[in-house]
Amino acid sequence: MTGHSAEARTADGAGLGWYLYGVLDPAAERNDVAAGPSVDPDHEVMVLVEGRLAALASEVSLDEFNETVLPERLNDPAWLEAKIRAHEQVLEHALDKTAVVPFRFCTVYRSEAELRSFLAEKGQLLEDALASVRGKVERGVKAFADRDALSAGLGTRSDAVREQEQRVEAAQGGRKYMEERRLQQLLDDELARARSDYASSIHARLLEAAEDGVLNPPQSPELSGRDEQMLLNGAYLVPAAAGDFDAAFEALAREYGALGVTLELTGPWPPYNFVPRELGES
Amino acid sequence: MSSRELDMYTARQPAQLADVLERVLDKGIVVAGDIQINLLDIELLTVKIRLLIASADKAREMGIDWWEGDAFLSRRDGENGLEQRLRRLERSAGLEPDDSSEK
Repeated sequence: MTGHSAEARTADGAGLGWYLYGVLDPAAERNDVAAGPSVDPDHEVMVLVEGRLAALASEVSLDEFNETVLPERLNDPAWLEAKIRAHEQVLEHALDKTAVVPFRFCTVYRSEAELRSFLAEKGQLLEDALASVRGKVERGVKAFADRDALSAGLGTRSDAVREQEQRVEAAQGGRKYMEERRLQQLLDDELARARSDYASSIHARLLEAAEDGVLNPPQSPELSGRDEQMLLNGAYLVPAAAGDFDAAFEALAREYGALGVTLELTGPWPPYNFVPRELGES
Repeated sequence: MSSRELDMYTARQPAQLADVLERVLDKGIVVAGDIQINLLDIELLTVKIRLLIASADKAREMGIDWWEGDAFLSRRDGENGLEQRLRRLERSAGLEPDDSSEK
């Protein structure tokens, strides 16, 4: 399979396009960075060198990847999961060997010429993006806390809570019910404060061991697949060969484990969270 | 180190779908211009897709396919919506719709 079929089209304009996974250093071409399975199993992943950059790309059928059918495909969970995972695995395979600037899902060009002209046109911006992630990978850290575990880990109560507990003790009937509700509210506030304090301290400590970091919105239990509330969903840019970040994570996991908080480390990921969202004008 | 702690440290692979989706659909460079696919479609669908994917496996286990009833997610339901409008029009025109058009 070569790049020369890129211009192949049927009479109605469909045919093959080029799916762009990411941008790499041209030297990566010698490193066996391109590996399947691609998003279109009929076509293998390739490295296209253009000047001082290289594209990690594969040909795709424009019958499958075009703006008319894509919205429908995206609603097919099986299709979406397969393609999303292929996109990720292509990038992860390259990430083991070289720096990667990841592109968002479904970046498709009509021809190899259009893909190459994009690389040439945005060359400097892409080189800058590549320079900022060279030798680095992204790690994900999530923190979860079960309400009861968090409550138990909190230990001593505030004065306000203790005073309210006494009021509950002393009250009777309808009054007791109201005081109990008030106590519950105080406890909820206290737990919310703890979650937020823990999240910012954990994030700050991880940042010390990382080159950069961002906080993403915590995933809902439905999304995370866990019953406990997620209180931190962070992404961190760290040296690919880092031991410091892992050590910081392990220390935090022990420390916060005692407070009822479970930490989870993911990655190494391509640095999705540390490349520009959009490329400006060159 | 306890085995529970070990589990926490080694809980890397395979990546959870939610984590992959969050990155591949939401992050990375977005290019507009001489590109074939309109990424706006994806942006608009992202939130719904996330919920859908997170729930799909669980839902399937339970024999539920709720997304097929969601007009936003299902082209078919969009057509059903059209069918309903058509039926209303037919009724108001005094034409009883054929039962086979009901699902």
